[in-house]
This record gives sequence, structure tokens and C-alpha cells, in this order.
Amino acid sequence: MKIKVASVDSLIIYFGDKIDKDIAKKVKNAYLCIKKLNLDGIIEIVPSYTSILITYDIFTYDYETIKIKLEELINLDETQEDNSKLITIDVYYGTEVGLDLQSMSEKTGLSIEQIIKIHSEKTYDVYAIGFLPGFGYLASVDDRIALPRLSTPRKSIPKGSVAIANTQTAVYPQASPGGWNIVGRTAFEFFDKKLETLSPISVGDRVKFNPISKEQFLKQGGVL
Amino acid sequence: MSLEIINTPIFATIQDKGRFSYTHIGVTHAGVMDEYAYYIANMLLGNKKDENIIEIAFANVEFKANTNTQIAVTGAFCEVFINNEAKNSWQTHNLKVGDIVKIGKFLEGSKVYLAVKDGFKIKKEFGSYSTTIKENLGGLNANRLQKGDILKINSHNLFHTSRLKKSFHPKYEDTLLLRVVLSYQDEYFSDKEKQKFFSSEFTVSNEFNRMGCKLKGEPIKCDIDGIVSEGISFGAIQIPSDGQPIILLKDRQTIGGYPKIGSVLSIDCFKLAQAKPNTKIRFKQISIEKAQKKLKEFYNSFN
Repeated sequence: MKIKVASVDSLIIYFGDKIDKDIAKKVKNAYLCIKKLNLDGIIEIVPSYTSILITYDIFTYDYETIKIKLEELINLDETQEDNSKLITIDVYYGTEVGLDLQSMSEKTGLSIEQIIKIHSEKTYDVYAIGFLPGFGYLASVDDRIALPRLSTPRKSIPKGSVAIANTQTAVYPQASPGGWNIVGRTAFEFFDKKLETLSPISVGDRVKFNPISKEQFLKQGGVL
Repeated sequence: MSLEIINTPIFATIQDKGRFSYTHIGVTHAGVMDEYAYYIANMLLGNKKDENIIEIAFANVEFKANTNTQIAVTGAFCEVFINNEAKNSWQTHNLKVGDIVKIGKFLEGSKVYLAVKDGFKIKKEFGSYSTTIKENLGGLNANRLQKGDILKINSHNLFHTSRLKKSFHPKYEDTLLLRVVLSYQDEYFSDKEKQKFFSSEFTVSNEFNRMGCKLKGEPIKCDIDGIVSEGISFGAIQIPSDGQPIILLKDRQTIGGYPKIGSVLSIDCFKLAQAKPNTKIRFKQISIEKAQKKLKEFYNSFN
């Protein structure tokens, strides 16, 4: 664990420098630990793959004080009470919504059915949430279907699009420009103003995709 | 009792100090680009310190007062007309029912702030009035202000106007010196590259919006191509592979994967917010201790 200045009122804690399950576990433990401490004057706690960014009130702490406090209080060995959930997300993988399925099939030499099977077989960990409200970075996708981002990003990717970029997969919680490979679409809401937590997924949760038919997708309120 | 937008503003949004404690689920901070002008506007009106305000990013906004009220105009020096009569900015003005206000040309600076007595009566979303269009949050229908928009306000009969002392007026210079706290991936920039960064002159490009400001200049090289995505602070200076720095501002993405040499002190980001394309930028290092002292002084000056 290494603490560094990030800006005048923020610091960043590093737990490693690559996408790795053990590092992610340390991030998650530290994140739960900091949340539990519930310190005054902590404004933001942003966990990601290898780090946690903390924004603090400079009228409560100077950098040295908060750094020492965190070094003392964050205990990585102590297992935190883990409320992480397994969330199943229904996905319609048809080519009319899976905009890149055809080209992915050509690039990988796999059939569309195989791509769907490989993508929906695995359980993914939520490593980070960012980019857009409720956009979860999920990993790791099987190497056989891990394709780089499109060379030209799309101007608008439809809401609910399920996407792959290298070994990461994610769902676009709203229409947005983006360059990930689109394999399907879900009616699941990833940022819901009606929910107390707003985002139904948190760092540390696990996600599994469940293939459904077009009829089921439409019945769930999905939009083509 | 309202203000009614009667033309089609190019880009004017409702903002406040910003939306905090939601970045862990990907919600950006948002908020006013220039906090100095923002706090002064509310101070002149005797408003709550963090009352909402209109941030105007391009010339020509016209509105009609449907009640008696008082407004304050701060930020970029601009033409202000009330019923075609020229007025000054950095002061308050009384409005009567039916008065037509026009924010015309920007003379110096690039963001005008228009505050109204007691603020606009709209609903906060996740603790803030700030509009972020791409997130569909805040403001009036999460959108920029449009012709026909009705902004509800309280009615006031105020005769006493206040004006900010000239000596407190900001100066919008053609060259800005931005103070930088070395941070994040600074160790992956060689001494030679750091020296280049702190001795070169950069130029503000056209790629400048609420998310960030891209500069043009001598390319700065980082020893690494990219990093594993991590949280990004206000003012963070990303160095993408083309070596042209991007300073991240209020509507920045919450996490990202470009190496960062450090972060610009927030007070200097507020000055940058008033810059125009082609403004010259220089960087100067500041220690975290001094930076925190300067920022405390800044906020204390509004108490």
C-alpha cells in the first residue's frame, strides 16, 4: 500500500500496478474498511482496479495528517464483512442489437453462437465504476473473445448495450459515444434514480450474463 | 414569479458548487467552472454561499423578468443591457416586471455568471442543482437553457444595489501561470521531460469544454503508455501518447487510464475557465503544503 498526493485536496492509494484478482481484493478490503471508518471530512472514495482515490476537506486535514491516519487505520489483513452480491443480467444477443457480433465472428473465427456462449458462461468481477453513472468495468473476458476497441468509436451506442474491450466487459447504462465491441442489449437499469444506491452494482460484486430471447427482452421493456 | 428565457442561448446551464459523494458510481462533480465569479455573485446578492446560478459560455442570452427582483452579473466582462440601456457587470441590478435583460458580447473572459436573489426555485438532484447533460442530471430538465424556459424565483423589491470594488475585479490575461502539484505518475516522467514541461509555453486549443482543456505545445513524453484506469481529481493533467497535456475540469470522467504528471491548483483552474483558445499557458511547481494554504485562503476570503 502506497499513498501519494493526487491534487490539492485528494490522495491516491496504490495496491499494485496491474489488473489482478489479489490486488483487486486488497482494494476491496481497503475500500470497505475506509467506508466503515466513516471519517469526517472524507468527500469521495473512488475505488478502481489497483487504487483508491480519496478527496478530503482541507479544512479538516492537511495531506500529512490524513496520510498518517489512513496508514494507521487501513488494515488489509482484516477481512471486512462482505456484502457483495451475484447479479444476473438478462441479455438479448441477437445481431440486430449485437452490432459487432458479425465482425467479431470474422475476427475470431468463432461462430456467433460460440461467442455468446463464451461471454455468458463466465462470472465477472466488478472492478470499478466510472466513465458514466453506473458504468461498471467487469473482468476478465475469455481471451478467445477479447478484442481491442474499434478503431473509430461510434457516435452513439444505444442504452443497455453489452460490450467488450480487450479483457473487459461492460454495459452502457445510457446512450453514449463509445468504442467497445457490442454483443447484445439488456433492459436492466444500471443507474436508477429510484434506487437508494442509484447503481445496483458495486465494486466487489459479481455479474453473470444470461442469454434470453428477443421476445423475453421486449417483454422486460427492452427497446430494439 | 419567474425569469423567462426569450432567445435561444448557445450554451447556458444552471450550476452550483457541484455534486459530491457520487463519483464512486461514476457521477461527475459538475459545478461552476469559475468559483471566484460564482461566490462573488451570490455574495453581492446576499444569497446563500452555494446558491444556484446560470453559467453562460457564449454571448447573447436574453430574458424577461416576470416579477420584481435583483440580479448580479459577474465573470467575463460583458455587455449587459436592461431595456436596451448599457449596464456594468460585477454588480447587482434591480429588475421590474417586464424588464428585458440582455447579456451581449463578451469583452474579456469566457464565462459569465448570472445570479438571482434567493436563487432559482428548482429541485436539487443528488444534492446539487448542477446540470450535466451527458448524465441527464440536474438543472432544468437536465438540459441547457432554451427559449421559453421559465425559471421560478421569489419576488423582491430591492433598491439597494451593490458593486464589487474595482481592486477585486479579476484580470483575464493573455498568459496564465498555472501552479501544479506534482502527483500521480510524476515518477514516470524523466527530469528532462519535467524540465521541458515547466519551461515550455503551451497554448489553449479549441478542444476546451466543461470536461477539460487540451493544450498545444512541445510534446511531453512519459516513460509508460498508459496506466490501469484510476480515479481522476479536479485539475489533473493527463499526458496522452501525443504528448499534449489535457487539464481535467468540472465535468471530467471519474476514472481514466492516461498517465498524469500532476494536478493544477483548483484556484488556477478557475482562472483557466475564463481563458479563450490561444491563451498562453505556463506551469510552475507548488508544494502540497503551499497549495493547501492558498486554497484555504481562497475559501476563507468568502466567509
